[in-house]
Amino acid sequence: MTPLRVELRTGPAGEVLEISGELSGATVVSARSQIIAALAGSRSPSLEVDVRGIDRGDTSGMSLLYELAHGGLADHRRANLQGLRPEFQPLLAAFPSPEEIGRLQPPSVRRGAFEEIGGHVVSVGRDVREQLTFLGAVVQALAMGVVSRRRMRWPEVAVVFEKAGVNAVPIVALISLLTGVIIAFESAQPLAMFGAQVYTANIIGIAMIREFSPIFTAIILAGRSGSAFAAELGTMKVNEELNALTTMGLEPVQFLVVQRILAGMLLMPLLTAFSALAGVLGGVLVMLAMGFPFAQIWNHLEGSVGVSDVLVGAFKAVVFGAIVSALGCLRGLQTKEGPSAVGDSTTRAVVAGILMIIVVDAVFAVLTHVLHV
Amino acid sequence: MTATVPTAIEVRGVAIGYGDRVILRRLDFQVRHGEVFVILGGSGSGKSSVLKAMIGLNEPLEGQVLFDGENLVEAEGAARLRLLRKFGVMYQGGALFGSMTVLENVRLALDEFTDMPPELKDLTALAKLNQVGLLSAASRMPSELSGGMQKRAAIARALALDPGILFLDEPSAGLDPITSAGLDSTIRSLSHGLGITFVIVTHELPSIYAIADRCIMLDSERKTIVAEGRPTDLRDHSDDAYVRQFFLRQAQRAAGAGKGEVAS
Repeated sequence: MTPLRVELRTGPAGEVLEISGELSGATVVSARSQIIAALAGSRSPSLEVDVRGIDRGDTSGMSLLYELAHGGLADHRRANLQGLRPEFQPLLAAFPSPEEIGRLQPPSVRRGAFEEIGGHVVSVGRDVREQLTFLGAVVQALAMGVVSRRRMRWPEVAVVFEKAGVNAVPIVALISLLTGVIIAFESAQPLAMFGAQVYTANIIGIAMIREFSPIFTAIILAGRSGSAFAAELGTMKVNEELNALTTMGLEPVQFLVVQRILAGMLLMPLLTAFSALAGVLGGVLVMLAMGFPFAQIWNHLEGSVGVSDVLVGAFKAVVFGAIVSALGCLRGLQTKEGPSAVGDSTTRAVVAGILMIIVVDAVFAVLTHVLHV
Repeated sequence: MTATVPTAIEVRGVAIGYGDRVILRRLDFQVRHGEVFVILGGSGSGKSSVLKAMIGLNEPLEGQVLFDGENLVEAEGAARLRLLRKFGVMYQGGALFGSMTVLENVRLALDEFTDMPPELKDLTALAKLNQVGLLSAASRMPSELSGGMQKRAAIARALALDPGILFLDEPSAGLDPITSAGLDSTIRSLSHGLGITFVIVTHELPSIYAIADRCIMLDSERKTIVAEGRPTDLRDHSDDAYVRQFFLRQAQRAAGAGKGEVAS
């Protein structure tokens, strides 16, 4: 094995570029710059290249000879390669012709603005239709499940209930407790200016039970379980398990989705109750630390929080639970092909879940205001 | 046979297993430079485990895997990387990176291990695709390719840095006879044209006759190599009942003393 050498010689028949030694992926960069340098002064109309001396090479190295032979390095002068050893000829022969490479350029697809907008409108319409179809299928399957106990597959509901509900209690409790603490601290300051610090208890009660507990619990559910549903069903779709169910005469919605939605609707009120309890506890702890007696705090809590507040919170929780679980399952069922498809579905499930929680909560806020509940 | 051809890979005293369970032991064989070497065996005989041990994915319980005399099992760091560069691997499903086009898949190793200018990398990758007859699919995504095309693309990717040895895991699995024969001819042309050494795991008989120079056969009951030689020789002259059964496609093993043949 000899080191790479590039030399421009002037012989009787004109200029000859001589390349010898190792021409491989390791030396191709230096070979290329040496060739460009050697040819810089050359003005001869034709280019003869003597490659007899190349005693070691690979496809990466041959790509340079290909470039030379097709005029890529010397002002479009095509080099005439001479004496390439037989062992390298198959490597060089593997390169497609420039015409073949030219044909590979994909035709550029540029769509007009109207076409783009139209395309998006159509896809949004299709998504809405899919969601409505899905909603219909879920309602139908729920009804079927009420009629037939076996179809509901209650053991599966219990499993989901435990995974998405029971196992989430610690994190929900911690987040809610800290939220209660934060609200108490933040509202105590401005209320103190009016000498109304004791009303912090009212704020904590109302805020936690009506708003924050359902919302935070639902967001935790979306992050923990909506994503898990999407990934689970998405993987099943990619592995053709959903197809297997369908051809066995089992509807995926009836077999997998209803259980998750039902579990979500059942666990959310309980989880929300935990959350409210922990949140109020956090607030009460702060107030106790500020020196308020427990009896006074309790009086304010009892006076401000009514049955309607608890019911509103619980109702929201049920609705959020249904939304988060259903969106998780729907995104899972919509999973497309490819390695990133399940990841995309999971992202879409969490984003759509959180977005819908906030939108629906805003609707609730307007409704409860109008209805005075 | 031909003692003049140097040994490319030597497997010496290798035992393979998971935990306490030994699947295969006393594996000793050599792969010569430039030959197409096939590892045969029934389902569950540990063919793919042998392949994984040879390419360093799974460490054998004992023994050595020598590439040109250097042991891959114990090699670390730069020495291991140098040994890994000697071979390319085509996995059973192709294992193309789904987020990249076919061309980008082939170019990946060139991007990571060479500092060639981009146009030369593209050219080299296109040459590899041309070698396996996939030039026109260069800008497509792996998910848009058929099973046979994915395997071809995987071979092109394995060839990117011109390794001297290619390992193929079940190249014919899941392919129709025509596509499978096409893949066989690609393997033959790479073997004859470029002198690449092939180590192939398969149990497809037509493929074996078409491509194999030499083969070994594994048996899960005896847990070792039960035959070694040219496939036609094993078929016609082996005195081992299991080997004959395999090549003659007979059902159920003859159970040592032979309890009577069961119709296939």
